[in-house]
Formats: sequence, structure tokens, C-alpha cells
Amino acid sequence: MVPVIGSALEKKGWVGETDFLDLFATAQSFPGPLAFTTALIAGRKLCGAKGAAAAGLGVLLPPFGAIVLVGALIGRLGQLAPVQDFLAGAGATVPGLVAAMIWKMARSRKWTALRAVATIAVAVALSLLPGLTIPVFFGAIALLYFAERKWSS
Amino acid sequence: MELLAIVWTFFKIGVVSFGGGWSIVGLIKTEVVPRWINESGFSSLIAIAQATPGPVALNAATMIGWQRQGILGAVLATFSVVTFPVIAIAGAGLLAKRLKVDQRALQESLRTGTLAMMAMTLWVLLPKGNLDPILIGLGVASFALAAFTKINPLWSILGAGLVNAALRAIIG
Repeated sequence: MVPVIGSALEKKGWVGETDFLDLFATAQSFPGPLAFTTALIAGRKLCGAKGAAAAGLGVLLPPFGAIVLVGALIGRLGQLAPVQDFLAGAGATVPGLVAAMIWKMARSRKWTALRAVATIAVAVALSLLPGLTIPVFFGAIALLYFAERKWSS
Repeated sequence: MELLAIVWTFFKIGVVSFGGGWSIVGLIKTEVVPRWINESGFSSLIAIAQATPGPVALNAATMIGWQRQGILGAVLATFSVVTFPVIAIAGAGLLAKRLKVDQRALQESLRTGTLAMMAMTLWVLLPKGNLDPILIGLGVASFALAAFTKINPLWSILGAGLVNAALRAIIG
């Protein structure tokens, strides 16, 4: 979705390619779905708070409509055996897709000893402490931030 | 009140939603299964969320809100996920003037954290207990297609649904 935003902004003549890459890098330092945060920051750059609100709502609305539509459809048809089998088969792909994303992220990562050890340690901590995701995640980010500044440049 | 619980739960999820959206699917699962949806229902819901346009985590929030509390639940769940990101982006301009952030160190730490969250997501999503050979096969095939080809995952999701429905109809 992000490349679509980039080319749309360029076509309109609103944001050039290098500016968009900057903007996308900024979006990555914030929480939130990337398509949403990128839209928000682009909107703000163009028209301030109003632009951010317009861009944010613009990017939320179409998926919202689609989900409500699909949700209503499944609410109607969800009891039928073939539909249930279809949904079970579709659901079975989810761990496979996540594993593939991890595979791709791991391959393109610039690995250092620190990053490798930290990734495994944080993953284990998050899996063992499902109720403490927020403190574990932010604690790890804080520690890593200082470690990254100190040991890798 | 369930609406308030939906708002609070998805607000919390939004706080750690770094790195796109897939990284928090595991967290969404630990928060909503079995409270609001069962195990197999959740997997199907995520597949639908991915196959429908829009970020997967946002779509999942909308759908869970919709299933539990209708249109109001859908609206509140959707806005709750993005509440913290909006506050963070609005507040960052003010903070950035006061303290100097090393962008490279921050982005690298977030990358490590996100990859760890993805690993946790995979761990939480892996099927446990009654393993169905057809479903396992579809999961492995979708991994191979997504990891080693450029085929859009949408086709894996829809294809796996059709294959499973067809096989069950034949086997009976």
C-alpha cells in the first residue's frame, strides 16, 4: 500500500520521491500501520492538522467499508459447511505467511552479534510473558537504543 | 462493559504497533482468544483481514469490533488502534525540539524489536493440538509460495480456502 501512496503523491505533484522516502522513514519510527502513519505525516506536511485528519480518515474508510461488508456476508453464510471449510483453509495459510515474512526480514537484515542475540532474547521474553508485551517491548527498545549507540556505528 | 474493554484492549495494542501491522497479530491473539473469539475463528479472521484491502491489524480490529458489538464496536475498535499512533505523531514535533534522538540507533532497535514481535506472532499462531494434515500442508505451501516466489499472498489465501473446501467436499 505504501508504494501506491508514494506514486499517487508524486502524480499529484504534492510530494517528490526523495521527500516521500524521508517521510516514510519518519513514519517507520512511529507505532501504527505504515499505510496509516505515512498518510498522516504526508497529510500534515501538505496541510497541517487538517491535512493529517483528512489523509488519516481517507486511508481508514475504504478498508472499514470492505471489512463491514465482508463481515456481514460471513455473518450470513458462515454457518454453511463449504464456507467454514473455505475459511479454515484460508486461515491455515496465516502462520505460513508470517513465517515467510520473518524469513524475508531476516534475510535482508544487517546482522550483528548484538542484533542476533537481542532478537532471539526479546522473542523468547515476549513469548513467555504474553501479558507483559508493552513493558517488555519498550524496555527492550530502550536498552537496544543505548547498546546500538555504544557498540555499532 | 464490553465496548469499553474493546476500546482499552485495542488502544493498548496500538501502543506497540511498530513495524507495519503483522508484528502485533500475535499480541491481538493473546488479547482476544478465547475472550471474544475462538482459536480457529481467529485464524480465519486474520486470513480475511489480510485478503481485504487495508492493513491487516487494522482490519482485524474492525472485524472483531464488528462481530462483538456491531457497527459501533467496529468504529470504536478501529479508532482505538490508531489513537496512540496519532498522539505519538502529534506529540513528536514538540518532543523532537527538546531532545536529540539518534535516528539510526532508534530505527535499528525498532527493527530488532519488530522482528522479535514477528517471531512471537509466529509462535502464538502455530497450530497446537489436533493437527490436520491438509491444513498443515496448506500452511507449508503458503510459506513456500510467499518466501520463494513473487506471487501475491492473496492468491495463497483464496486458493487454500478453495482447495480445503473442495477436498472436504470430495472426502465427505
